[in-house]
Amino acid sequence: MQSSRKVRELAGHLGLAAAALVLSCSVVRAQVPEPNEAIAQRGHYLAVAADCAACHTAPGGGKPFAGGYGIASPLGSIYATNITPSKTYGIGAYTEAQFARALREGIRGDGAHLYPAMPYTSYTKLTDEDIHALYVYFMTDVKPVEAKARETALPFPYNIRASMAFWNLLFLDDTRFKPEPGKSAEVNRGHYLSYALAHCDTCHTPRNAMMAEIGSKALGGASLASWYAPNITSDQKSGVGSWSDDDLARYLKTGDVPGKAQAGGPMAEAVEHSFQYLDDSDIRAIVAYIKQVPAISDSRDTAPRDAYGKASDRETAYRGLAESGMSRGERLFTGECAACHRPTGKGSPDGYYPQLFHNTAVGAPIADNLISTILMGVRREVGGHTVYMPGFGEGSYVDALSDQDIADISNYVEQEFGNPAVKVSADDVKLIRSGGPKPLIAKLGAFAVPGMIVGVLVLAGLVVLVVRRVRKTR
Amino acid sequence: MAKPEFSQSGDVSADVVVVGSGVVGGMIANELAAAGRSVVILEAGLRLKREEYVENWRNMSFHNRLHSDFQGLYPQSPLAQAPLYFPANDYVGLSGPNGSAFKQGYLRTVGGTTWHWAASCWRHLPADFEMKSRYGVGRDWAISYNELEPYYCRAEEEMGVSGPHDVSLQSPPERSRPYPRDMIPFGYGDRRVAEIVNPHGFHLVPIPQGRSMEPFGDRPSCCGNNNCQPICPIGAMYNGIQHIDRAEANGAVTLAEAVVYRMDTDENNRITAVYWYDAHRQSHKATGKTFVLACNGIETPRLLLLAANARNPNGIANSSDQVGRNMMDHSGVHASFLANEPLWFGRGPAQSSCIVGPRDGGFRSEYSANKMILNNISRVAPATQQALALGLVGQELDDEIRRRAACGVDLSISLEPLPDPNNRLTLSSTRKDPLGLACPDIHYDVGDYVRKGLESVNEQVKQIAGLLGGTELRITTDYNANNHIMGGTIMGKNPKDSVVDGDCRAHDHPNLWLPGGGAMPSASVVNTTLSMAALGLKAADSIKADFEKGRA
Repeated sequence: MQSSRKVRELAGHLGLAAAALVLSCSVVRAQVPEPNEAIAQRGHYLAVAADCAACHTAPGGGKPFAGGYGIASPLGSIYATNITPSKTYGIGAYTEAQFARALREGIRGDGAHLYPAMPYTSYTKLTDEDIHALYVYFMTDVKPVEAKARETALPFPYNIRASMAFWNLLFLDDTRFKPEPGKSAEVNRGHYLSYALAHCDTCHTPRNAMMAEIGSKALGGASLASWYAPNITSDQKSGVGSWSDDDLARYLKTGDVPGKAQAGGPMAEAVEHSFQYLDDSDIRAIVAYIKQVPAISDSRDTAPRDAYGKASDRETAYRGLAESGMSRGERLFTGECAACHRPTGKGSPDGYYPQLFHNTAVGAPIADNLISTILMGVRREVGGHTVYMPGFGEGSYVDALSDQDIADISNYVEQEFGNPAVKVSADDVKLIRSGGPKPLIAKLGAFAVPGMIVGVLVLAGLVVLVVRRVRKTR
Repeated sequence: MAKPEFSQSGDVSADVVVVGSGVVGGMIANELAAAGRSVVILEAGLRLKREEYVENWRNMSFHNRLHSDFQGLYPQSPLAQAPLYFPANDYVGLSGPNGSAFKQGYLRTVGGTTWHWAASCWRHLPADFEMKSRYGVGRDWAISYNELEPYYCRAEEEMGVSGPHDVSLQSPPERSRPYPRDMIPFGYGDRRVAEIVNPHGFHLVPIPQGRSMEPFGDRPSCCGNNNCQPICPIGAMYNGIQHIDRAEANGAVTLAEAVVYRMDTDENNRITAVYWYDAHRQSHKATGKTFVLACNGIETPRLLLLAANARNPNGIANSSDQVGRNMMDHSGVHASFLANEPLWFGRGPAQSSCIVGPRDGGFRSEYSANKMILNNISRVAPATQQALALGLVGQELDDEIRRRAACGVDLSISLEPLPDPNNRLTLSSTRKDPLGLACPDIHYDVGDYVRKGLESVNEQVKQIAGLLGGTELRITTDYNANNHIMGGTIMGKNPKDSVVDGDCRAHDHPNLWLPGGGAMPSASVVNTTLSMAALGLKAADSIKADFEKGRA
């Protein structure tokens, strides 16, 4: 089963690769400051908040920050790098300036460009003080791992890292976070945490054709390979405006709000690796910020995602009968799903097996997360306890289901417990199984980067023209 | 990844041909495929999804559930029968003083009988390997406990076994590696019974089980659906299908509805091919370098006898005349009673704890050892039947069902038969399967060793029931089968009186392995699957070694 881990780091989404922070040997020896326990501790907290480990620590026992995890992307596997202080294989020889430049401009020690899978467009908002703390933490508290992480080798033209310079020119706003006047300190703290560190926008903000975030649709929901990062703006129906502060905080801390929502896929990883460890005050700050993000509304959403469906009482109508009158989807649901989620859809009383009605994955206007959950399951380790639902994709421990099987089950579940307007076809499942909708840039393949370069040159030309004209008119 | 090659007519050629797709065949296929060998698996039965079995079980009648019909929910291939008892299909003809004690339930379906086992993963005791040397009865194995021990470890790791890390609760405690997971915690009933009976010399231990409380890799955690038998609805219990899936991911190909009936041998008595009938009764040929029959204790000897050829007129691997002899099972009895306090059996997995005090001792030179499982299958069905028989209705009926379900105790007691050449599987001269192949006949006598052992069981049961304030004590008088089929291709050092060697390689055929229960020369009193799997892994190692040394 393909792990969804780190997909949210947007590589698959971008169609471009995760960055390789591999060092060249020519880098100047770093001046590591004296260990400062307090600064390093704060740096550790910031690294957790920024969820560095999500990409740079391989799952299943990988050494911390040693990289090596292969991120599935439409263009091939992208390997996260060793960011331990190994001087040979990691970032041990980085100066703080080089470290800052990697985080803020996406330029690694040897001057090569990172792909924006490394969320430097978010990290660039970090304060100098926090960059310093992160640097101290990585250099003093992280154990060097003397092993080279596997190198990313994407096919042409995506292997031309220099093309990112043009992309950055267009889309990188290389400025620090500035508190918004008129907002409370808590909201500003939440804003900083949400963008500069947790980089919520990386997944939840939709992107344009060049895979840059569309600022006017901030946190409005976006497709993320097989998963969908939903609208988390303050809209009552399309977003999370109807959630209480406590529910949002509980969701971030545990990934589980019974009778409402459970984190799966990349969000489960964010909870597992990052949010569960944040201070309550920081969680509250994120909630305060999220609650006041300008609403982005879709007129097609007639009710909040968690407001659909009700318990089913159908089992007594068919159990024990030779001619049950069940649809294929219902029969598959009872055989594959009902042992845990119950024929009623109520799940288990302790909530380990979630309720299916009043469930955001089931009530969402698109079924991507329902389909992905069935295919890949859910794994979320919080507080030392693992919540696990097996997937039903290839090699499943329960049953390997076909695209049609999953479409039939999804349609039954949507009809009975979710949003009856949502219909799922076998082709929809096939698409999700193969990694989800491909961004335009991936579809364009070999034409993408030359096209991008031409586009940037044209744009640059226009800028020059405009500037000249402006100057002339002065 | 090596793949078997198929001809246009549907014949196949592979490095390794495995007949049977249960836990043993699946593990061997996976080992060999992972080692880069092309593997084809031939399975007589159907391949269906778990979901079908789950729904069939849910729709079963109360009668079938009450009487533990674990076979009926598994649809059978019309050409490859397995025993059915509701009603009986008489696929296996039983005779002898205790023929009715040999009503085995085994599945012919892709994944095999572990679809409906209870996932008990016991090891034999070191003494069990030396019955003749230590106690002067039965036979010694061709290998010692220590030789099989590393394979026990591997089998436990393959199957994700949860067993006690506390050495005092291990049976046996001789282990080179810990269980992959600590024991499934005792339920209330297990704890309470242990408190009451252990001070009187009974030794209640947790049953090592192929399931876990937290996910084991991609396998979900057990949530106590309590119907391991006849089907785990959520895939939390180890099933052989899990190794078939893994073998296939490593390149093995499984052919369902492929009924093997004939084997070719060359001048060195190496196997050169096996033949199978497909679902349309068309015959095909599988050629290979190495052959494994992993069809368990009845179908493997049956096939060996069916496949008799000019060079092997008494059957394949049968120069010793031991194929089909020494048939064993843990012929057992059930004891049920109502304790004088609620014990609430029926929560958690179907089997949980077991009294193993009488597993070993000097008495084994005279009579059979035993083990007593505190059956943890829900008591609601028998409680309901008993309460209905009292003529109760309404609230009184509900209350009585509740009382009996809460206080009900069922001990499933296994005894140890000795290998007896007269307990014999033969080919029926009158009954044929739909393909015209002779059905198996089995003559069975539990023997005086077991009968004498039962006397001691009765005493022990009465003591246990007494300690628990038991009323309505009933001990069954007819022996029941436990589906732990052993002996039919018995292991030994001497090719004159045994069928396979310590690697389960046939004495008569250097490239034929017959791993599984049939090879086991002593029954012990514990469920056979882990020993079968360990023997399978040991066989796989010897097959790998043959390939590596150019002997295959």
